[in-house]
Amino acid sequence: MITIVTLHFLAAAIAPALVRRLERRTFLVLALVPLGSFLWLLGQAEAAFDGDVRTERVQWIPTIDLQIDLALTPLNAVMALVVTGVGALVLFYCRWYFREGDREMWRFSSVLTAFAGSMLGLVVSDNLYVLFVFWELTTVLSFLLIGHNPERKANRRAAMNALIVTTFGGLVMLLGLFVLGHEAGTARISEILASPPQGTATTIAVLLILVGAISKSALVPFHFWLPGAMAAPTPVSAYLHAAAMVKAGVFLVALLAPAFSDIPGWRPLLLGTGIVTMVIGGLRALRQHDIKLLLAYGTVSQLGFLIAVVGAGTQAAMFAGLALVLGHALFKSTLFLVVGVIDRSTGTRDLRELTGLHRKLPVVFVATLLAAASMAGLPPLLGFTAKEAALAAFLDLDADAGLGVWGTVALVGLVLGSTLTVAYTARFVWGAFGVRSVTPPTVTPQRLGFVVAPALLAGLSLVGGFAGGFLTPRLMAYAGDAPAGAHEPLLTLWHGVTPALGLSVLAVTAGLLLWVARRAVASAQRRFVESMHVPDAELVYHGIIRGVDRTSIEVTGRTQRGSLPVYVGITLLVLVTIPGIALVRTWDGVRLRGPDNLLQVAIVVVVVLAAILTVRSRRRLRAVLLLGVTGYGTALLFVAHGAPDLALTQVLVETFSVVTFVLVMRRLPPFFSDRPFTSARRIRVAVGCLVGLAVGGYALMAANARTARPVGLDFAEPAYDYGGGNNIVNVTLVDIRVWDTFGEIAVLVVAATGVASLIFLLTDRATSHREARRDRASSDAGWLRGAGLIADRRRSVVFEIVARIVFPVLMTFSIYLTFAGHNLPGGGFAGGLIAGLALMVRYLAGGRAELDSAAPVDAGVVLGSGLVIAALSGVVPALLGYNAFQSGIFDVPTGLFGYEVHLVTSLFFDLGVYLVVVGLSLDVLRSLGGGIDKQGEETGDVETATGEVSIA
Amino acid sequence: MTQIVVLPVLLPLLGAGLCLVFGRSARAQRLISVVVLTTVVVTATTLLVRADRYGPQSVQIGGWGPDIGISLIADRLSALMLLVSTFVTLCVLLYSFGQGIVEYGRETPLSVFHPTFLVLSAGVSNAFLSADLFNLFVGFEVLLAASFVLITLGGTEARIRAGTIYVIVSLVSSAVFLVAISCVYAATGTVNFAELAGRIAELPPGVAQMLQLLLLTTFCIKAAVFPLSAWLPDSYPTAPAPVTAVFAGLLTKVGIYAIVRTQTLLFPGDGLRSLLLWASILTMVIGILGAVAQSDIKRILSFTLVSHIGYMLFGIAFASQLGLSGAIFYIAHHITVQTVLFLVAGLIEYRSGTTNLSRLGGLARSAPVLSVVFFIPAMNLAGIPPFSGFLGKVALGQAGIADGDWLAITTVAASILTSLLTLYAIAKVWNRAFWQPAPDADQEHDDEDDWSHGPLHGGGAVANSGGTLMTTMWQKVATKQRLPLAMGLPTALLVIFSVGLTVLAGPLFGITDRAAAELLERTPYITAVLGGSP
Repeated sequence: MITIVTLHFLAAAIAPALVRRLERRTFLVLALVPLGSFLWLLGQAEAAFDGDVRTERVQWIPTIDLQIDLALTPLNAVMALVVTGVGALVLFYCRWYFREGDREMWRFSSVLTAFAGSMLGLVVSDNLYVLFVFWELTTVLSFLLIGHNPERKANRRAAMNALIVTTFGGLVMLLGLFVLGHEAGTARISEILASPPQGTATTIAVLLILVGAISKSALVPFHFWLPGAMAAPTPVSAYLHAAAMVKAGVFLVALLAPAFSDIPGWRPLLLGTGIVTMVIGGLRALRQHDIKLLLAYGTVSQLGFLIAVVGAGTQAAMFAGLALVLGHALFKSTLFLVVGVIDRSTGTRDLRELTGLHRKLPVVFVATLLAAASMAGLPPLLGFTAKEAALAAFLDLDADAGLGVWGTVALVGLVLGSTLTVAYTARFVWGAFGVRSVTPPTVTPQRLGFVVAPALLAGLSLVGGFAGGFLTPRLMAYAGDAPAGAHEPLLTLWHGVTPALGLSVLAVTAGLLLWVARRAVASAQRRFVESMHVPDAELVYHGIIRGVDRTSIEVTGRTQRGSLPVYVGITLLVLVTIPGIALVRTWDGVRLRGPDNLLQVAIVVVVVLAAILTVRSRRRLRAVLLLGVTGYGTALLFVAHGAPDLALTQVLVETFSVVTFVLVMRRLPPFFSDRPFTSARRIRVAVGCLVGLAVGGYALMAANARTARPVGLDFAEPAYDYGGGNNIVNVTLVDIRVWDTFGEIAVLVVAATGVASLIFLLTDRATSHREARRDRASSDAGWLRGAGLIADRRRSVVFEIVARIVFPVLMTFSIYLTFAGHNLPGGGFAGGLIAGLALMVRYLAGGRAELDSAAPVDAGVVLGSGLVIAALSGVVPALLGYNAFQSGIFDVPTGLFGYEVHLVTSLFFDLGVYLVVVGLSLDVLRSLGGGIDKQGEETGDVETATGEVSIA
Repeated sequence: MTQIVVLPVLLPLLGAGLCLVFGRSARAQRLISVVVLTTVVVTATTLLVRADRYGPQSVQIGGWGPDIGISLIADRLSALMLLVSTFVTLCVLLYSFGQGIVEYGRETPLSVFHPTFLVLSAGVSNAFLSADLFNLFVGFEVLLAASFVLITLGGTEARIRAGTIYVIVSLVSSAVFLVAISCVYAATGTVNFAELAGRIAELPPGVAQMLQLLLLTTFCIKAAVFPLSAWLPDSYPTAPAPVTAVFAGLLTKVGIYAIVRTQTLLFPGDGLRSLLLWASILTMVIGILGAVAQSDIKRILSFTLVSHIGYMLFGIAFASQLGLSGAIFYIAHHITVQTVLFLVAGLIEYRSGTTNLSRLGGLARSAPVLSVVFFIPAMNLAGIPPFSGFLGKVALGQAGIADGDWLAITTVAASILTSLLTLYAIAKVWNRAFWQPAPDADQEHDDEDDWSHGPLHGGGAVANSGGTLMTTMWQKVATKQRLPLAMGLPTALLVIFSVGLTVLAGPLFGITDRAAAELLERTPYITAVLGGSP
């Protein structure tokens, strides 16, 4: 079975390629796949009917109990034969249905074949989830098929409705499958049916699953998608919406009925919706003028009938139900295919425009008569014998299922529905082939092949009527598992004079009368609909969809404010509230330790004041300088704790940041622009205070809970023994936690290049230092040669002299710091910052050209080589068989005065850091300094330029 | 052999350095990036195989002991995340070649894209591999710094604006993370995950819970969990397609990964079950309502991105093996499918000049291959079987039902509702962009920012007019062009990969299942870090 299902998908995959070569004949090739499957299944089916169930299993995902289990039970076999048989004929029919050179044929042929495969998979699956997989596949593929001609809005809409409605049902069903699978402890259908779980959970699960079945089979209140789906090409309607997909719901009910038909709610739900659907569908069919839509409502009605019968769940009903499925598949696909022929021949489906077709399309006419007779339940057709069986089953509903008076109600409903069926059948035949006083449509002659499929299917309806003896034991192979009822079900043309026969006669007579009195009926219906204000399910559905759309817009409008302060505010409030809950709950006995000395107090007071003043200041420059104060204060705090190395780094970073800020500030207005309203301001202050309090609280509580000794205290000894350095901070940076530093220098590299890329989008960085070289020739020599480019009034000779002298000193010092860092305060980071400051001095004194002449290299290359050196210092030890970044300690004799140089290989990493920091400085100075200068020169005055990005 | 654990971080950074050194040669940069990322993918595969076969692969950086040094570790979870993420990154890189995101125009930003992209990859890998809370922070910083650059690539006004939201929210989240780390260190005196696992258990339960919530808050910002999610749809869609694609695929998943890691390793049990389930429900439903409300493909995808994070939380909340296994599977699925959909959105934009649904149409007819490449991952995202999105949901649904109380069942129901609404949102895209006939071809493309790739646009206000002119010209060329193979092939490759996740779901679920078991057991990880140094 897995093979034939797979073959369908393979055929679907190659179909587009085939269409290119074979055009419409592709369908003939594709039809071979379901045909072959049909024949193979025919060979296997006998064994299934004899009780020898063939099973197959392909391992897929044992974790979630999703195994491809397939089984060929009698029910599955009947369904699979219908699916493949009708599928082959429909594909065959497509060969003539399509017009030469249809541009969408490649997709259509592929999707339809894939659909046939999915449908086949569905009806042979023996695993809940596999069944669901195929179930949803049919939904999606039908979406594509319904929207085959997507130019029309109605078609797109119909496809969407079908998709959403059936997927809704499908997902509800999935929920049910989860519960059922959990309750049963297995997802294998045969095992579940063999020992069905009991209990409330199971009841709910099964009812949820039935929602899926009801939506798929287009029962009230989901019925409206099916007539809409008639937007699909007619072969699709014949296959999906008559023979195959809509039967999936019936199939599912038939599958579960033997095990679950006695659970509370099952019969009321299925009999109720089924019969209501049967009646409503029949009534609406009577009002249609499009013969395809008439059939569509007829199908809705019939599906209600099928679900009601199968869902009744007694042996006789299940037997009759399966017979009806077979009968319905045969006659309904015939009729749809006939509609396709009429449509193609005349160009219309409106029964008011059709006349006298029986003479022009005689074969089609005969086929229609047979199929229609089967639909109406006339002898000697399969539809008749099956309906007799159904009526007989419903006559015994009380006896078999103990439904009491409700059994009788159901029976009455069934007869009423059958009456309507007869009436709309008559309307269909009369509509398609009747003689009217209108201009006869021109009839294009059709090839014989076009009518083969409907003729064959109609013939089978006839054969089926006489094949009661053949079919009975095979259908009983399915229904026989249910407890025997009051009578032994049987398919036959003549039971003798029975109540069922009487009801049949009644239905046919009444139906014909309805048809004869069609004008009166139509006006009565119209009056009834107008007076009752029956809620139209489709309108309700669209109302829901509109509601969803509206809700989505409202909710999104509320949550997605587009305002950064709101987002940050929410984030901070979550930070206060969520961990705050734990804080408040356990806030107890927190010990506080006073300050160690007054210096700490003083520093903290200064820092806090500076922070408050920062947020209060309206001038940007002032804010930045005050921010700097908080930074320097922090550095002092480090000093107070005895960490000069950290303090040094902090001071350098702070200096560099402040200067950078100032460079940027030249392009920004001097004042913060948008001051928030006072109320917003108050909220912000409140949030800020809350965050401060909360974070303070977290810190206190965490510090109080400490029991273990912090790891930092253990750094000192190994730093010297293993890291080979006296400066613990530096060893930590370049060795113990080198991996962090490595990441952080990558951050620096990225930040530098990122800033540069933004600033230099227009000002071309790549050429700037080359320009400088060119310019140098023309500029007059002075203390600083590059400074010749800036205006005289802004030059300062003193500054230039100082810069000239200080630069080499600073550079040397920076290199010293880098090398000494392992044992003394310093290190690559500090060294790099010093070098950066040296460059900054040159820039400030002499402008961007001077900077270029001080460092005539591309900053990117410096950054890149720094990163490469750092990375290599990690790779090399690993290549030599050590851990990545492991340092070696060598005492290298220099030959000078007997000194030995104490070399630790982590120095190479530190060099990388140094280069990255220098590159960063260069890049920042070039872009934020030189780049902005250049933009300023191009746009006019630097000071008044606007380029601010306001964030509100 | 375990030393290869460092490669997924070390190599991209080395490559980034080399790219900067060879900044002038586009060819050299491409070569370096491709070689590096391919090697990393191979490494990640090796790590996954080894982790699955021999247990977690760990390394001590610099040979320092786990008590003071930094450990990297690749257990099944890390290795799987690493493999999926680096493969996706590689595909996006190849795609970016085709799009000419950086090559067009002057050479300036050329030297930026490749190194930054590699650094991003290094940051993501580091976050997956790190066994150290502070180093995890560093990993986040690395990827964030790179993402700041990438999201503002080209410096158009819209990108700077969107970038500002992104940058500031990310900085706030980093600050929160630092607060969390400080508190953890203050309470336990260590930042090593394995040591923390032991020491947190000794803390008073209230303090432990506070730390747990602090870390959770941090990671929920990164992962864009409601109500900390609003920044994402406002910032992602404006970036160039490959950038958005890789962000969507990876960045929020790093946050989710961090949640999985910390919640299972440091705070075992389901102590935060209700909180996480509620967060999951709200994230899923409010996120998907956002998607329904949009009319631009990229924005729709950004909202589905937020929404589906809820699925992952849902699996984490139960702290059961099936739930975690489903969540991990879903992460792998979601990385792939979101990335590929953003790449497809890029293709649509490339072809039609826009991703706005009201200006798109008729693509099913005019671009049949594109329609297939969109439809499959789109259905996958919507959880239509048999694709991986559905499989992940089955696992999560089963986990929820097995858990059994009303909140769990409500979450399952919410997840199903989300699935339906995702389908609705996606089907709307299909209906409007692919089926509905195109609006008049000569209709003016209202030129905002959305078709600007780096060098085309001038910085901010300075030369907008020139940039716009060039953009419009470029647009005209682009809309007539067929899609370049160099963009189509990587996209197709990822589509195939995503289908591969479905076909190979059995073995993959085997791995996620064992990964989940390993997470719940905890000892393999702890032993690998504390006792496993070579």
